[in-house]
Amino acid sequence: MLEYFDPSKDLGTPAIFSATSITLDIDGNSISVPEGTSVLRAAALYNINIPKLCATDSLEPFGSCRLCAVQIEGRRGYPAACTTPVSEGMQVVTQNTKLAKLRRNVMELYISDHPLDCLTCPANGDCELQDMAGAVGLREVRYGFNGSNHLDAPTDDSNPYFSFDASKCIVCSRCVRACEEVQGTFALTIDGRGFDSKVSAGVNQDFIDSDCVSCGACVQACPTSTLMEKSVIEQGQPEHSIVTTCAYCGVGCSFEAQMQGDQVIRMVPYKGGEANQGHSCVKGRFAFGYATHKDRIKAPMIRDHIDQPWREVSWDEAFSFAAAKIKGIQKKYGRESVGGITSSRCTNEETYLVQKLIRTAFGNNNTDTCARVCHSPTGFGLKTTLGESAGTQTFDSVREADCIMVIGANPTDAHPVFGSLMRRRLREGASLIVVDPRDIDLLATPHLNQAIHLQLRPGTNVALINALAHVIATQELLDKDFIAKRCASDAFEQWLAFISESRNSPEETEAITGVAPDKVRSAARLYATVGNGAIFYGLGVTEHSQGSTMVMGIANLALATGNLGRLGVGVNPLRGQNNVQGSCDMGSFPHELPGYQHVGEQQVRDKFEAAWKVKIDPEPGLRIPNMFDAALNGTFKGLYVQGEDIAQSDPNTQHVEKALCSLECLIVQDIFLNETAKFAHVLLPGATFLEKDGTFTNAERRINRVRKVMPPLAGLADWEVTLGLSKALGYEMHYDHPSEIMDEIAQLTPTFSGVSYQKLEELGSIQWPCNEQHPLGTPTMHVEDFPIGKGNFAITEFIPTQERSTRRLPLLLTTGRILSQYNVGAQTRRTQNMTWHSEDVLEVHPHDALERGINDGDWLGITSRAGNTVLRAKISERMQPGIVYTTFHHPGSGANVITTDNSDWATNCPEYKVTAVQVEKVSQPSRWQKAFQDSDKKQQQLLKGKQTTSVDV
Amino acid sequence: MRSAQQQLIHMVNQIGENNQHSGVESAAAFTSTHIQKFWARSMKQDIIQHLNNGGQGLSEISIAAIKKL
Repeated sequence: MLEYFDPSKDLGTPAIFSATSITLDIDGNSISVPEGTSVLRAAALYNINIPKLCATDSLEPFGSCRLCAVQIEGRRGYPAACTTPVSEGMQVVTQNTKLAKLRRNVMELYISDHPLDCLTCPANGDCELQDMAGAVGLREVRYGFNGSNHLDAPTDDSNPYFSFDASKCIVCSRCVRACEEVQGTFALTIDGRGFDSKVSAGVNQDFIDSDCVSCGACVQACPTSTLMEKSVIEQGQPEHSIVTTCAYCGVGCSFEAQMQGDQVIRMVPYKGGEANQGHSCVKGRFAFGYATHKDRIKAPMIRDHIDQPWREVSWDEAFSFAAAKIKGIQKKYGRESVGGITSSRCTNEETYLVQKLIRTAFGNNNTDTCARVCHSPTGFGLKTTLGESAGTQTFDSVREADCIMVIGANPTDAHPVFGSLMRRRLREGASLIVVDPRDIDLLATPHLNQAIHLQLRPGTNVALINALAHVIATQELLDKDFIAKRCASDAFEQWLAFISESRNSPEETEAITGVAPDKVRSAARLYATVGNGAIFYGLGVTEHSQGSTMVMGIANLALATGNLGRLGVGVNPLRGQNNVQGSCDMGSFPHELPGYQHVGEQQVRDKFEAAWKVKIDPEPGLRIPNMFDAALNGTFKGLYVQGEDIAQSDPNTQHVEKALCSLECLIVQDIFLNETAKFAHVLLPGATFLEKDGTFTNAERRINRVRKVMPPLAGLADWEVTLGLSKALGYEMHYDHPSEIMDEIAQLTPTFSGVSYQKLEELGSIQWPCNEQHPLGTPTMHVEDFPIGKGNFAITEFIPTQERSTRRLPLLLTTGRILSQYNVGAQTRRTQNMTWHSEDVLEVHPHDALERGINDGDWLGITSRAGNTVLRAKISERMQPGIVYTTFHHPGSGANVITTDNSDWATNCPEYKVTAVQVEKVSQPSRWQKAFQDSDKKQQQLLKGKQTTSVDV
Repeated sequence: MRSAQQQLIHMVNQIGENNQHSGVESAAAFTSTHIQKFWARSMKQDIIQHLNNGGQGLSEISIAAIKKL
């Protein structure tokens, strides 16, 4: 009988999708499978399990181990079941005396060069070689160990997370193929020939020195203990597992948390996870140690002033203290003098509760989220043009793309698992267009077919997207049928007239963008004509003074070419944090209730007021930067921040610090004493994703379950903490489990009306909208129409940013991320990921370095109109002359001391990506950095309950 | 760096400038609606107050937009 998909079972070779069904006979069973399926997989689907070693269903068949040999009527010899596709009427025998003998001989040869230390081997109980020895009935090894062998081959322990014990290697190539096919890095190879063949990282390098990105795909693929997690070597095999969702980037990978009791032994990518399909990156796979780091906050704490030591108190005392402070502030300064910030790292349910607390217990709409500083322009831009504040596709849709355009994103570093999927499609022949001031790793994809890099100047995105659209509009490349059927005609005509003006041509915009016109024309033609054109973009689009305009420009391009509403196309924002999409969906913004329903609409408020039993203010509240300004004006005095580090992540750090210092009550709920918490009066311990139930929504609108695998370290999950605070404030909410919160979300949010935990258990995950019209969710948006009816072309006039290079500040600084670190680094800095990126550096072009006498490793003072900081130099040709680049993963770097108060015109998303700076060699840290070090030392002492001498902050 | 008031002036001017393609009247209407929809009550009050105090630094579009609030 045909078995349904069981992610835990390895079917030997990948699934084949074909409309043609083939019927064959295996061991007397009539079996029907899609054409192209291997005999090995066809058998496994019917629970006929042919022994195998080099085959696994995440990799293309290889046919090297010969263990899956079968007999096929009418064919000579013993073909490998993994490399033999089924054919109509084929008759296969998988078990007989000849095959059994053959397999035993194969296994005997393998074992003759393998240590017989099963009882002390870390893979004992989880070893395919051991399993196969049992399956074939191996009882003796006749060859002994006197001849040549690899039993003394050395172990490479250079990677902090896994070891490579060459003595256990059977050279099945699964690791090499996983690195190529799944990850796309090609860091591993088989070195040597015949008996000397061995797996090699790079050119006979240690793993740590090779191109290996520590994604873990090789470890996952290894059938022995050759590549093995060090945690398993040290602690033994896990005894149970729970499927949950990674809390790093917006890909939202599913993982099995493999446990011993309440201790995580390893995180293994879950094959049944639809976002990652069994793949992982170094962060999700290995960097979970922060959850049990000694720095975790384990008890609630309070203090009256930020110069005082923290005092550990009970939860109830902390809630009472916080509530009294907030009520006192509101009594003195008014109802609108307090607010809160929800987290894109917490669950949907927790985010929903925080904004609900603010709108009910606080009685205002001063709620915002860290999405303000990353993807708020996506919400505005996509809602204006396409009618919904979300990406249009599934990740898997990229496998149908013919042209992939990546704008202001660095998927191999910031969204690595999706970056690998993208690379797979590029290897298959899709073309690549990269719009970025920096030379990103995607451009170095092995076996890349065609790539165009539009290396524009920072701050000129809109001029470039207009130039691309100009070519499409004036060169008869428009999809006129799509436009006529699906788009508003008036808006289109206005846009056509605007975009066709010669000032938008590649020739005239070259002076702005610095990109050669012929490259722009080639890219436009490629995107418009090659077939399926898919656009993926990141914070290099949104974090500009024209972030919203650029998002609309991207949507215009997709509308103009009909690249919407089917697989392989679309407009896809790559969300930075795990639940950016969800935090936006859950009503975190000050003008919108959950489901992007505006607070100004009476019928919307009626619905929420009936459910929440309070009056809701019809006026929008303050956004994060407006909160800071109001704080400095003396009208905003209390703030509740859940799981967000605004003191490190928001621009113009000194401005933020002054604003935080001016607050009379700052309540921070976090897993660590983060930079913001150093300004707090109430510190409520947060729970990691491993310690609570809930859901995250990833960049493809996929709602995934987060499942508790261990108890909260401080006793309460984050949603329970918000309930406690709300109760103390006088607004009691009753939920026994996050599933009940989701039920309320479904009741009030039209796009979530069909979502429930029960359905999530049944389906695994759900892409919203999920409602009566789409009961199973919506993988591809806008197939028939747009939520606003017709697609809306927007006029995208290029308005240069006011942040321009000058004689005093001649360079432009742009910022980004690195693979091994995540956001402000609070989690990854507390793991061995520090091996790869222990400090932020400033990348400087050799030309600019030469002019200033800068060498690699020099201390560089970086000055902007906002402030200055000091970083070490790294000479790099990834940017053009005149552009410098850094990351922001370490608080002491002060990257945001130099970013400015410029922001997107529509949403106030900060313009992190363009800062005019000067760079010069210096010999000591900046004044801010020295003050930061002093302040940090002081606050660490105060955390231990010790009084210190006052230090200015 | 800008004061809170300078920031509000900058923000409203920026909205107008980014939507000036359709002319002053239309841009002012858009800007006014945008402020109405996205700005907090206190910010609206502050920018109206600033206009009432002479409106220094406000663009033509911004002035027309604030008058519509």
